[in-house]
Amino acid sequence: MAIKGGFSRKSQASSDVPDSSMADIAFLLLVFFMVTTVFQKDRDRPIVWPEAEATMKIDEKLKNILNIWVQRDGNIFINDRPYAMGDVAAAVAPLYAASERALVISIRADREVTYNTIDLIQKQLVAAGVVRVVFATTLEQRMTRERR
Amino acid sequence: MAILDKKKSKVSDKVPSSSMADIAFLLLIFFLVTTTFPKDKGLAIVLPEQGGEVQVSQRNILHIIVQPNGLVEIKRGESPQVQTVAASGVEPIWRQAVTENENLIAAVKTHPEAPYRFMVDVLDALHTAGAERISLQLFEG
Repeated sequence: MAIKGGFSRKSQASSDVPDSSMADIAFLLLVFFMVTTVFQKDRDRPIVWPEAEATMKIDEKLKNILNIWVQRDGNIFINDRPYAMGDVAAAVAPLYAASERALVISIRADREVTYNTIDLIQKQLVAAGVVRVVFATTLEQRMTRERR
Repeated sequence: MAILDKKKSKVSDKVPSSSMADIAFLLLIFFLVTTTFPKDKGLAIVLPEQGGEVQVSQRNILHIIVQPNGLVEIKRGESPQVQTVAASGVEPIWRQAVTENENLIAAVKTHPEAPYRFMVDVLDALHTAGAERISLQLFEG
C-alpha cells in the first residue's frame, strides 16, 4: 500500500485472462462425455436379419430396449445368456417391472427361424405382460425388392 | 541482424498454451459429432393384453395365411374364396379392401413351419399400406 510501484505491478499481472486452465476444462468435458457414454449392453449374435421396406427407427431410449436374440438353430439369448423357451416370461417380467412398463422388446430373430418359435416367444411376452414389441429388421431398398 | 535474432529466440522459448484449449475443444466437438448411437430399427407392433380376447365380426376380418413356401392365401371373412398371391401382393389388396371397409382387421396367420422372414414380408406390406389393426396368429389346421 505504501509503495505505489508495487501496487501497480500487481494489477498488471491480473490483466490477462488465464487461458492455461481452459485446456483442462475442455479435457474434463471430453473425459466426462467419454465416460458417461453408454453403449449396448449385450453383444451381437450371428443372425441374418430379415428385411423390410417399412423399417422404422424406434423412438425409445437405448436403456428401455431389451433384445431377445433368436439364432437360426432356435437358441434364445437375453443379455448374453441363453434361455429356454419356457423361461423367457420369467426372465422378462422383472426387467419389465423395473423399467416401470416402459420396456420395449426387440425380437432379433434370424430370418430362417420357423414362425412357431416366434409365436411361442410372443405368447411368453404376453404372459409377462409386455405390450410394445419390435420385430428388428434391416431396411430393404425398393431396388432389391423389385429384383426379387 | 544480430539484435533481431536475439529478440526472436526469446519469444519462441515458451510453449504456446493458448491454442491447447482450441485443440481440446476441437477434439470434444469432433467426438460429439461423430458419436452415432445404434438406433434400433424394426417393425413395431403392440401385443394384446393377457386374456383380453375380443370377438370380431367375420365381416371385418381379412384372413392372410402365410404358407411355408412364402405364398400368401387371402380370404375375406367367411367367404370360401381363396386368393393366392406373393407377399408383395398383399399391399394393393389391403389398400383396396380398406377403402371398402374401414374397420377391417388384418389377421396374419402364419404356418408353424414357415420361415420368420415370410411373416415379416407380409407385415412389411401391411405397414407400407398403412394398416394399423393387425393380429398375428399361428395357422392351425
